[in-house]
Amino acid sequence: MNKRLMPYYLMTVPAVILFFVFLTLPALQGVYYSFTNWNGFGDNFDFIGFKNYANLFKDSNVGNAYWFTFKFAVVVTILINIFSLLIAMGLNAKIKARNFFRGIYFLPNILSVLIVGYIFNYLFSNVFTIWGQNLGIEWLSTNILGSEQHAWIGIVVVAVWQGIAYNTILYLAGLQTIPHTLYEASNLDGANRWQEFWRITFPLIAPFFTINMVLAMKNSLMVFDQIVALTNGGPGRATQSISHLIYTGGFEGGEFAYQSANSVIYFILIATISIVQIRFLQRREGEM
Amino acid sequence: MRTKTNWTVMILITLGTILILFPLYMTITIALKTPEDMLTSLFGLPKELHFENFTNAIRMTNFFNALGNSTMVTTATVVLTLLSNSLVAYAIARNMNRRFFKGLYFYFISAMFIPFPIIMLPLVKLTAGLHMTNLVGLTILHTVYALAFNVFVYVGYIKSIPVALEEAARVDGTSTWGTFWRIIFPIMAPINATVGILICLSTYNDFLLPLIIISDTNSYTLPLVQYIFQGQFNTDFNLAFASYLMAMLPMIIIYLFAQKWIINGITQGAVK
Amino acid sequence: MKLGKYIAACLLTVLVLTACGAKEESGRVQVEFFQNKPEAKGSFDALIEKFNSSQSEIKVVQVNPPDAETVLKTRVVKNDIPDIIGMGATDTYSLLAQSGIFMNLTDNPLLNQVDETYVQMLKDVAGMDEVTGIPYSTNANGVMYNTEIFKELGLSVPKTWDELLATAQKAKDAGKIPFYLTYKDDWQTVLPFNALASNLEGIEFYMERREGTVTFADKYQEIAEKQLALMDYGHGDNFGKNYADGNREFARGESAMYIQGTWAIPEIRKANPDAPIGFFPLPTGNNPEENKLISGVDTLLAISEDSKHKEEAQQFIQFLLEPENSKQYITEQTLFSTVEGVTQDDPAVAELLPYLERGQVIDFADHYIPAAVQLNSVIQSFLQNRDIDGYLKKLDTEWDKVADRR
Repeated sequence: MNKRLMPYYLMTVPAVILFFVFLTLPALQGVYYSFTNWNGFGDNFDFIGFKNYANLFKDSNVGNAYWFTFKFAVVVTILINIFSLLIAMGLNAKIKARNFFRGIYFLPNILSVLIVGYIFNYLFSNVFTIWGQNLGIEWLSTNILGSEQHAWIGIVVVAVWQGIAYNTILYLAGLQTIPHTLYEASNLDGANRWQEFWRITFPLIAPFFTINMVLAMKNSLMVFDQIVALTNGGPGRATQSISHLIYTGGFEGGEFAYQSANSVIYFILIATISIVQIRFLQRREGEM
Repeated sequence: MRTKTNWTVMILITLGTILILFPLYMTITIALKTPEDMLTSLFGLPKELHFENFTNAIRMTNFFNALGNSTMVTTATVVLTLLSNSLVAYAIARNMNRRFFKGLYFYFISAMFIPFPIIMLPLVKLTAGLHMTNLVGLTILHTVYALAFNVFVYVGYIKSIPVALEEAARVDGTSTWGTFWRIIFPIMAPINATVGILICLSTYNDFLLPLIIISDTNSYTLPLVQYIFQGQFNTDFNLAFASYLMAMLPMIIIYLFAQKWIINGITQGAVK
Repeated sequence: MKLGKYIAACLLTVLVLTACGAKEESGRVQVEFFQNKPEAKGSFDALIEKFNSSQSEIKVVQVNPPDAETVLKTRVVKNDIPDIIGMGATDTYSLLAQSGIFMNLTDNPLLNQVDETYVQMLKDVAGMDEVTGIPYSTNANGVMYNTEIFKELGLSVPKTWDELLATAQKAKDAGKIPFYLTYKDDWQTVLPFNALASNLEGIEFYMERREGTVTFADKYQEIAEKQLALMDYGHGDNFGKNYADGNREFARGESAMYIQGTWAIPEIRKANPDAPIGFFPLPTGNNPEENKLISGVDTLLAISEDSKHKEEAQQFIQFLLEPENSKQYITEQTLFSTVEGVTQDDPAVAELLPYLERGQVIDFADHYIPAAVQLNSVIQSFLQNRDIDGYLKKLDTEWDKVADRR
C-alpha cells in the first residue's frame, strides 16, 4: 500500500467498518430473517423460503399501509411545496420586518415532531371541535382523527404545518438569488404577474424546487412520529404508515420475520424511486 | 411600485403567522391554566399563572434527568459528528480519483435513500447483542447514520478548497493528519456550523431511534419521556402541556438567540 | 489539533462516566418491575416505596410505558427482559410463556396463596400445564352507570339485552347521552365485543376455531349486529373521544352509562372523587340466568427466566401478596384480589360481587385471539363502515393468515 495514502485509509476505514456493522449488516440480516418464521425471540425457527413474501402480497393490511403512505407522501409533498413557495414569495416581497416573519415561519422546524403531534392531537379533539359546534360546521364539530375516511387529512395538516418551515427557507434563499433587474425588464415588456412567475421566477428557482420535492417526499415516506402521536394508525388501520406497520407488527404481533420481508419489499420500492429520481435530476441538470 | 411596502402581501403574511403561532399560543396558555380555567375560557389568557403545573411536571417526569440525557446525547453526537465525519469526507474528497475512495463515497451517500424502518428490526437485535441499548450506543448510532448526508455535504465543500494550501504544508513536512486538523478543519468552520445545527436539531428531537434502542427509563430522552407519560398526561392536559413546553423550550431558547445564524446555516447546507 | 484532542478526551470521559453511573448506587440489588397499567402506576409506586423502605437489600424500580405490550416485546427481542413483569393474561402472555421466557413457578409456594380458579385460567390462556405467572388481581368488564341519573330518570338496572336498549332509549329521550363511547382508542371498541362474544358463543369457540371446524362468519353474526346496535346510543363524536376523555366526561355526569372495566374507576374518581358510580354486567341475551360477568386476570406477576435476581423478585411478589398489601392495591384500583379472604368493599362494584361469588363469570374473549390479528383495529374499523359481512370475513382471513405464519 502506498505510504502516502496510509493516513487516508486510517481516516476512513474505522468509519466504513462502523457503517457496515450498523447499516449494511442489519440490512443483510433483515433479508436473512425474511426467509424464516422467527418471531424475534425464542430459540428455534425454520426456513420457509418465500412464504413470507407470498403472504405479503395477499395481506390487505400491507397493501393498505403502502396506499396510505404513498397517498400521504404525495399530498404532503405537493401542499408543502405550494405553501412554502407562496410564503417565500411573500417574504421576498417588499414587506416590513422581514427577518422577524422569516424567524416565525421557520420556528416549527426546530420543534419535536412527536410533541407537535401531541399538541395537535389535543387541538383536534378539544379545540377545533368547539369551533365546529359554535359555527355550526358539521365536519369540524367531530374529531377528524376519529373518522376512517378523513383522519389522514388531520395528519397531513400537522405534517404540512411543520414541513413548510424548512422548504420556505430554501425557496427564500433561491428567490434572493434572482436579480431585480430581470423583473424590471419584464415590467417594461408589460408581462403580468402570472407570466412573470412562470417565465422568470420558476425557471430560476428550479434547482430549489427539485431539492424541496425530494426532501419533502423522503421525509413523508418515513412518517412515524406523527402517527404515534395522533392516531396510532387508527381508526382501524386507516392511517397506518409502512414504518408504523413494521414497528407494531414486527414487535407486537410476533411477526418479526414477516415484517422483515415487508422491509425488504419497502427497500426495493424506495431504491427504485430513488434511482428514477436521480436519473431524472441528472437529466434536468444537464439541460440547465 | 416595488419600492413601497406591499400591504396586501404584508397582511397575508401576518395572517399566516397567526396560523403558525396559534398552536404555540395554546400550548403556553394551557400550560399555565388549571382544568377549571379551561372550562370557563379555553382560548383566553390565564387569569392567574399556575406555575405549579411546571413544578408538578418536573417532579413527575424527572425532567432534569431527561434534559440531562438529551443534552448529553445531543452534545456528544454533535462533537463526534463534526470531528469524525469531516475527517472521513476529507480523505474521500482528496482521493476521488482513486477507485476505492470513489466507491466509498457512493457507498456512504447511497444510504441516504435507505429508510430507517428497513433496518429497525435487526438493529434492535444487533445493538442488544453489543450492549449498546444505552445513551452511548445511541450517540454512536446517530454519529454513524449522519455519515451518509454529511459525507455528501462535506465532500462538496472540501472540493472547493484549493489543494495548494495543503501542498505547501506538506512541503514543510506536516503530516496528513496535521494538515487536516490545522489547515482544513479551521477552513471548514462555516460548513461545520451548518452540519452541527442540523445534527443538533435532528438528534435532540429524534424519537424512533431512542424508542427502540433505550431500555432503561433513567436513560430516556425528552421526547421519549413525553411518550411514556401519555397514560398519566391524558387525565391532566395542563400538566401535559407544561411538560411539552419544557421539553421544547431549550431549542426555542437557542433559536431565539441564534435564529439568524441557524437559518443561514441551514440555507447554506441545502444550497451546497 | 490540541482543541480537538481535548474535546475528544472530555467526551470520552463523559461517556465512560455515564455508562458507569447508570450501573449501581448504594449497593442495593436493583429489581426492575415492568407493568402495563397506567392507572396503577401510583398504587404500585406506593407499595414499592413501602417495600423499599422495609428492608435495605433490594430496590424495586417500576417501569410503566404506554403501549406496554409492544415495548415489552421489543425488550424481549433485545434479550433485555425485566426482572418482574406485571401484565394481563392476554395472548401476548401466552406467546411469551410458550417461548419460555418466564420462570417456571409450578411448584412455587407463592402459588399456594392465590385462588386455584385463576391459576387454571392462566393455564388455559397460555395453553400450557406449566404455570409461569402468579395471578394477582382480577377485573370485571361491564356497564358503569351514573346512579344519580338513573334515580332522576327512574331507571332500573337492566337484566336483559332488550331492557338494556330500552334503558338507553329512555336516557336518550330524556336528552342524556346513554353510553359515552370512547372509540378513538381502538382497544375500547373491544369491551362490548368481549361481553357479547364470551357470553353468546363461549370460549370453546376459539378452541374449535383453532381446529378449523367453525368460522366467525358462521357464528358471530349476532355478536356483530348487537355491537352495532349499541352505536345508536352514543354521542356526537364517538370516534373522536378516547378513554381519558370518557373517564373525565362520565365523572362529570355527561352520560348515563359507560361501557367500561372496573379498572377505570380510580381514573374517574381522580376527575371527580364523588362520582356516583354503579356497575352491572352487560346483558347480552334475554335470559338473566345465563348472563355471565366478564372477568379476567387483570395483572399476573411473572419472573424472567434470565433474571439474575429471581430470589429478590420472589420476595417482592410475596410482599405484594400479603393480604394487607393486596387489599390496598385492589381498593385503590377497584379490582378483585386473588388472595383468599381479601374482599372488595367498594360500593361501586357491590352489584358484581354475587356474580363472582356464584362463579357466574367468563373470561375475556380477546385473550384467546392472537395479537397479530389486531382485533382492536378490526373492530374499530367495522364500527365505522358498518359492514358486518366484511368484518366477519376480515376476522376469518386475519385469523387464518396469522395461523398460517405461526
